Amino acid sequence: MIDVKNLCKTFEDGDNQVLKGVNYHISKGEKIVIVGPSGSGKSTFLRCLNLLEKPTSGEIYLDGELITAPNVNLNLVRQRMGMVFQHFNLFNNLTILDNITLAPVKLKLMSKDEAREKAYSLLERVDLKDKADAYPVSLSGGQKQRIAIVRALAMNPEVMLFDEPTSALDPEMVGEVLEVMKELAQGGMTMVVVTHEMGFAREVGTKVLFMDEGNIMEENTPREFFGNPRSPRLKDFLSKVL
Amino acid sequence: MQDWLIHVSEMFQRAFIKEDRWKLYLGGLGVTLKVALFAAVLGVILGTIAALMKLSVRKDGKRSVMSVIATIYIDIIRGTPSVVQLLIMWFIIMKNCKNGVLVAVLSFGINSGAYVAEIIRAGILAVDRGQTEAGRSLGLSNAQTMMYIVIPQAIKNVLPPIGNEFIVLLKETAIVGYVSLSDLTRVANQVSSRTYEAFMPLIGAAVIYFVIIKILSVLLGILERRLRRSDRR
Repeated sequence: MIDVKNLCKTFEDGDNQVLKGVNYHISKGEKIVIVGPSGSGKSTFLRCLNLLEKPTSGEIYLDGELITAPNVNLNLVRQRMGMVFQHFNLFNNLTILDNITLAPVKLKLMSKDEAREKAYSLLERVDLKDKADAYPVSLSGGQKQRIAIVRALAMNPEVMLFDEPTSALDPEMVGEVLEVMKELAQGGMTMVVVTHEMGFAREVGTKVLFMDEGNIMEENTPREFFGNPRSPRLKDFLSKVL
Repeated sequence: MQDWLIHVSEMFQRAFIKEDRWKLYLGGLGVTLKVALFAAVLGVILGTIAALMKLSVRKDGKRSVMSVIATIYIDIIRGTPSVVQLLIMWFIIMKNCKNGVLVAVLSFGINSGAYVAEIIRAGILAVDRGQTEAGRSLGLSNAQTMMYIVIPQAIKNVLPPIGNEFIVLLKETAIVGYVSLSDLTRVANQVSSRTYEAFMPLIGAAVIYFVIIKILSVLLGILERRLRRSDRR
């Protein structure tokens, strides 16, 4: 579904090369979990997938279409990929319902009524139907993140990208967000998740990637990844986080 | 004490009542408000355009031609006194135009636009980048993200400094006497040269300016509170 070839990213300020030629293939229905130390390039890799970060070089294919080509309509590409951010990024000026329905309605994918109906059924799924008319400021972190997931789902994406979705949450709210993500995984959604939640990686991931110094250092099934790490780097990392 | 009261009331009579002079002040206030209002509208329009121009970037991430043009406009206007700009407009650029109000509105509008541009630019930049990223990640275009998400939040940020700019603008119009417009300040000055008493006309003008600006700032305060509704828990 997504093919990444020799992806490089260098940030303009200085010669800070964050991604050094990443290659990877993601198939439909997979749940890829990416772990690694901070500064390893895992968030940048994820943000390159929907081109929020413009790759310096390399290619990304989505269902065979080269989306890093210069004449591609990025807005159409992004409609197919949902993204959930570490800091939720709910639209502060809109109610929860409007947060969810804005994109489907303005992009003319649904009528206003259809979008509302969809929003309510999704809100029901995450148990937040009563918050439809509230503004984001009045919600807890966990609630905001569940809404952010719903907002992305309202676009009927083919793949969901999660950028450290639980890192900004109070510990007692992590569970409720992971629960929603697990349900989503069970529903067959293709997911790419950058996270520090090793339990989630073990339980939900079909593949776990270890990124370090701008490359994928190790890739394996969760069982092998955690039970039998090969590189000393990964052993060292796991000994610190587990 | 009584002598003093009589003296003051006679001064008041000469400054405002005699020969229906209060009508002069009213007319002057009308000119002041007319110039300030239209210049404010023009300033907000020009300022918004200039701010968006200055924020625009080329596809390769470099500064656009639009951005350079907006920067030059802002630099020139902020780098020269508004009296000089007004005189240039009156004696050079529009020397064949006899409509002083029009010249003043254009001059002050263009002047105010430069300051408003920087206020709006700051207001847009103050909106968290994550808001834009979230909008773009859903597939909204840059323009749609701006219109539905960033600008509504930026308006809340810019309202206090824009209000301040309106107040400055209203007072700045006191220099339109230079292009022979009879605004509030000039009328007060004319009356005092007629009566040989500066006190009452000038204090009177000051009080009128103060009251108008007080009303303006109260109205802005109400608007600001209303726009902050979504921030309340």
